[in-house]
Amino acid sequence: MTAASLRVTPVVGVLTACITLISGFEFSSSPVRAASLPKVTMNAESIRPRPIEQRTGETVTQAYARAWQDLAESLETNRTDLLGDYFTGKAKNRLSQRISDQQKLGLRTRYVDRGHQVKAVFYSPDGGEMQLQDQAQVEMQILDGDKAISTSNSTQKYLVLMTPGADRWYVRSLEEVPDNAF
Amino acid sequence: MRRVLPLVIVLATAALVAAGWSGAGGFALRAERSAATAEQAVRALMADIQAHNWDDAYASLDHRNDIQKSDFIAEIAGTDGSLRTYSNLQSFDVWPLHADESHSTLRVRMNWSSAVGSLEELRDLSVIRDGNIWRVVWAKPNFPVVPLQVVPVNYLRWDVIGRRSDDWGGGSVDSPQVRIMSMNAVERPDRVVVLGEVENEDTVPAYLNVNATLLKPDGASLDEQGSFDAISHRLLPKQISPYRVDFPGVRLSQVKSVRMDVRALLVPASADPVISVENQNIAKDALGRKILKGVLVNQSGQTANIAQVLAVFYDSGGKVIWVNDGYLGQALLPQAPVPFAVDIPDDVAARLQSYHVVVNHYIAPTV
Amino acid sequence: MNALLTARLLLVLIALPAIGQPIGLRPPSAVAAGSPVSIATSGAGTATFYLLGPSHAVKRTVQLGQEVSIPGSDLSSSGLYQAIACDSSGCASAAFQVLPASPARFSFLVHPSRVPVNTANAINATALVFDRFENTVLEPSSVAFRFSPGVGEPFNRRVPTELGIAWLQMGSTSKQGPLRVLASVGENAETRVIQQVASEACGLRMQATSGPRNVRLQTEPVRDCGGNPLPDGTVVSFTKIDGAGRSTVDTPIKKGVASAQFSVSGPARISVACGVVLGNEISLGGQP
Repeated sequence: MTAASLRVTPVVGVLTACITLISGFEFSSSPVRAASLPKVTMNAESIRPRPIEQRTGETVTQAYARAWQDLAESLETNRTDLLGDYFTGKAKNRLSQRISDQQKLGLRTRYVDRGHQVKAVFYSPDGGEMQLQDQAQVEMQILDGDKAISTSNSTQKYLVLMTPGADRWYVRSLEEVPDNAF
Repeated sequence: MRRVLPLVIVLATAALVAAGWSGAGGFALRAERSAATAEQAVRALMADIQAHNWDDAYASLDHRNDIQKSDFIAEIAGTDGSLRTYSNLQSFDVWPLHADESHSTLRVRMNWSSAVGSLEELRDLSVIRDGNIWRVVWAKPNFPVVPLQVVPVNYLRWDVIGRRSDDWGGGSVDSPQVRIMSMNAVERPDRVVVLGEVENEDTVPAYLNVNATLLKPDGASLDEQGSFDAISHRLLPKQISPYRVDFPGVRLSQVKSVRMDVRALLVPASADPVISVENQNIAKDALGRKILKGVLVNQSGQTANIAQVLAVFYDSGGKVIWVNDGYLGQALLPQAPVPFAVDIPDDVAARLQSYHVVVNHYIAPTV
Repeated sequence: MNALLTARLLLVLIALPAIGQPIGLRPPSAVAAGSPVSIATSGAGTATFYLLGPSHAVKRTVQLGQEVSIPGSDLSSSGLYQAIACDSSGCASAAFQVLPASPARFSFLVHPSRVPVNTANAINATALVFDRFENTVLEPSSVAFRFSPGVGEPFNRRVPTELGIAWLQMGSTSKQGPLRVLASVGENAETRVIQQVASEACGLRMQATSGPRNVRLQTEPVRDCGGNPLPDGTVVSFTKIDGAGRSTVDTPIKKGVASAQFSVSGPARISVACGVVLGNEISLGGQP
């Protein structure tokens, strides 16, 4: 191979508008326990004003999946230290407060993550913010000590704000929204 | 019996000391320092320099050229916070060029180890017979004499004040805008090298690093490396630096594409000193190797303690075909020319059409 | 005897509703963040009441059959809340949505902080609108942007939010200097300042003054194509090629011009560049 035949892939590139990006061990349709990486399917067809690069899309999808994995584990074990890798800002503060309250009250929350259909809708021109709409299938169980006091299995919509850090993307805001929000 | 035992102990101790001395190369060392031949004289001098025995080293020289001890030590050990002052003579090779009964010329290649790697120095030494021994004629160093003068320093200086806000969404200052102007991946005998140039397109100084990731045909990462010191890290506005990223042990056939990444930081900087690079031309050194040589002149009033030369070579199409760098052992005193030389591989020399030299410098903080 | 039996029967009849009634919770379907809410309960006796929200968890003992008051401070984060009540017979739960309140603050990001003049779509401003509890306001609101360049008239833009975000892109103006960007939502306003800087050098020219053994070079004031002077400190490269080889010096602009000095002996060709922009060439003493 000669040097002339090498292709350069710069950090910033331009891709097609429609990308479907899949993370982790996602090809099984069966539900996965919170300990595994949840299945996240992202569609960037409607993203604007800036198109998303292939690598960025893959990185964001991966980071979002890992964030959910950490969220589930931290709420079940009441450990706020697990939130540092993929959460920041308001999302991290809120989850930390929730975990702190749970811990004081002897409560735990167990998530069974059945997957996320994510649509990337906003990517700022400077690449500093990305807004996602997530339709998540989540089974949630509230435990008081070892006793399950509530179980729910539903599709829940989330509005997500992701921002880039030094070497990864972080979830800065994760808000449950009503069904009619998007 | 009372006298025998102490005698035995003394003799045993002497034998052990002698064995230790011999095992440590005592005979070889003594031979090196004996100066019975011209080569031995040079080796003895190098050994003294290696051991920092300045008195012995100076005493072994021929003093007919009136070389001063302080000048000799200053040249060998370095002055003015130069790179030489942080270096040690690691090894040396000596071979004869010319010899007769009373005069010989020997070439010595000295390998100095320093904080930035090894530095090679080549010298031709004249050695003359003085009775039964040989003595090295050390050329009197020609230290530049800078006349007393006042040099105004009024170039621009940038400071970065305040601290970056942790409050997302608050006002902030962007990192400098830098751009990779070119990238070329070439194969060398034992590695793949990624070469090119990067420009600071912004109006503020930047401290930058260039990283490259080699990707396999399946898109997975093969290796990731940085430019380390094969780049001028600190770039003033509109300044361009070459860069080189080495991937030892990799073949070009393993690589499908290269992903470049440049990270720039806001840093304080000064536009001073200005260092000119003069009389650059392609020549051959004493060993017949192709070099780019020239002279650096520090045009400001402050000593640049350590200087690094980065040379970028272009082919006839303007493509970067090689980048090489070298450190100067000598400090750049104001207004005093200092020669430099950078190696050029033979295959590069055959193709190169033009070149450009950039100078990096480090000024030690004054206490 | 009959009276005793009747009294006992009456007692059982009175107690039956309490014994048999299951726990129930009837929260409102939606409530604004920060607003107190009352959740009606059904059942008898005491129960343990739980409320779990995005940033909060509450557990206390309540009396079934009475309303449970939740203060607004427990409902500050928008999202889905689970209300649960448990007694010895089991648990009941109900969910309700807490919606963002009205717009009260916003995050305002403007990039870049330095931009070359006359560059299309170079400036982008993004505003994210929140209520006073930092919940993203989903209802459309209007963000007003006002741009005030150092030279020229200010101009305004108004952008509606979509799911809490309003953004716009615009080009930089033709004159360098500070560009103040004010964003306002209701009564709240934030200002950012962008520095518009000269772009690439244009028409770079130098002049030479020859001496007996050297030549002094000085550029004309270095400007971009819009006439904006390049800032001091911008590096200009001078290159001389003569019989002794090539000589270069990278020198910063000082008070608008860059200057350098070369020693010359014989014919020489001198060129000047700033970044990737080449200037004129000067030949001294014929072609080298």
